Amino acid sequence: MANTVIGSSIVIDGEISGDEDLVIQGTVKGKISLKESLYVEGSGVVEADIETQNVEIAGRVTGNIVASDKVELKTDCRVVGDIKAPRILIADGASFKGNVDMDMKER
Amino acid sequence: MATAKELSASSNVDNTVVGPSILISGRLTGDEDLTVRGRVEGELTLSRTLIVEPSGVVKANVAVKNAIVSGVVVGNINATESVELTREGRMVGDIRAPRVIIVDGASFRGRVDMGDVEPGRLPAERPAVVRPTAVTRPTATPARPALPSARPMPPPPPSRPTPPPPPSRPTPPPPPARPSAPPAVSRPSAPITRPGLGGLGSKPLPPPPPTRVERAEPQAEQAGSAEPPTPVLVGAGAKKKVVVKKKTR
Repeated sequence: MANTVIGSSIVIDGEISGDEDLVIQGTVKGKISLKESLYVEGSGVVEADIETQNVEIAGRVTGNIVASDKVELKTDCRVVGDIKAPRILIADGASFKGNVDMDMKER
Repeated sequence: MATAKELSASSNVDNTVVGPSILISGRLTGDEDLTVRGRVEGELTLSRTLIVEPSGVVKANVAVKNAIVSGVVVGNINATESVELTREGRMVGDIRAPRVIIVDGASFRGRVDMGDVEPGRLPAERPAVVRPTAVTRPTATPARPALPSARPMPPPPPSRPTPPPPPSRPTPPPPPARPSAPPAVSRPSAPITRPGLGGLGSKPLPPPPPTRVERAEPQAEQAGSAEPPTPVLVGAGAKKKVVVKKKTR
């Protein structure tokens, strides 16, 4: 599976969907739905609702996140929105504002 | 910290890739190269190069600097520099770019607009392309036509319906002069075939009408001193005239 990279100068306004890993170094507005992992790197800016298996965020995300496996907020990230996932990690230095819902066992 | 990360991240960004299973619908803009192996729908604007790989599908209006299409593009491409459709490229839509390259094997339906190409270039390129074809056909005649053009003999050209051979050869007059030649059509057709068979003209055996034509050529070139065949009265005179002018030159 080739890696998909959204470069730092790229701006996407719309919807991204797919079955592979996605690395965002640029800006995405709209909606992201993946069956694999999403990486928002330090330079990445996401203003979108996210639906994936895994999310690792080192950049900025504004929007609701739903992950079927794990959400990881790394140092220096800024996240505003609700997070829903069975595993949620928030590292020291991360800034986050929103609700956390880890109750995915029923589903 | 953040800046360092951003820098490292940005330095890693050589290229943006949309993987084969990815679908992006909406508006995509950027200042770097973009490689599409998946699907992009909507609007795509780049200040650099768009590469659509064989697995890539772009259904969008595209505005870029360069576009290289090896996959599928449905929509218009507006490039400030060039658009290239490779062997595997398929495209439906209009292309607007100063340089458009469509390679053998590519499929394309739409319009191409190269705009106002530099005025200096086009003329030079077009003649180069056109001339070879035009020159190749008349090549046989040109060497001879030079003679007729210099000659004051107007009758031959008008008498003949066939454009290339007539001017070069003085033979045309004979047919009209002769009452014995009923099939006027047959003669013009003969001269046409002659140019290609020029080498055969030396043969004296061929049927009367063709032989004359053939002989006329060699004689004219050889200074017409050759023995004039009995049948061709008018033709001989024409040849002599030709010869004289040559000498005068």
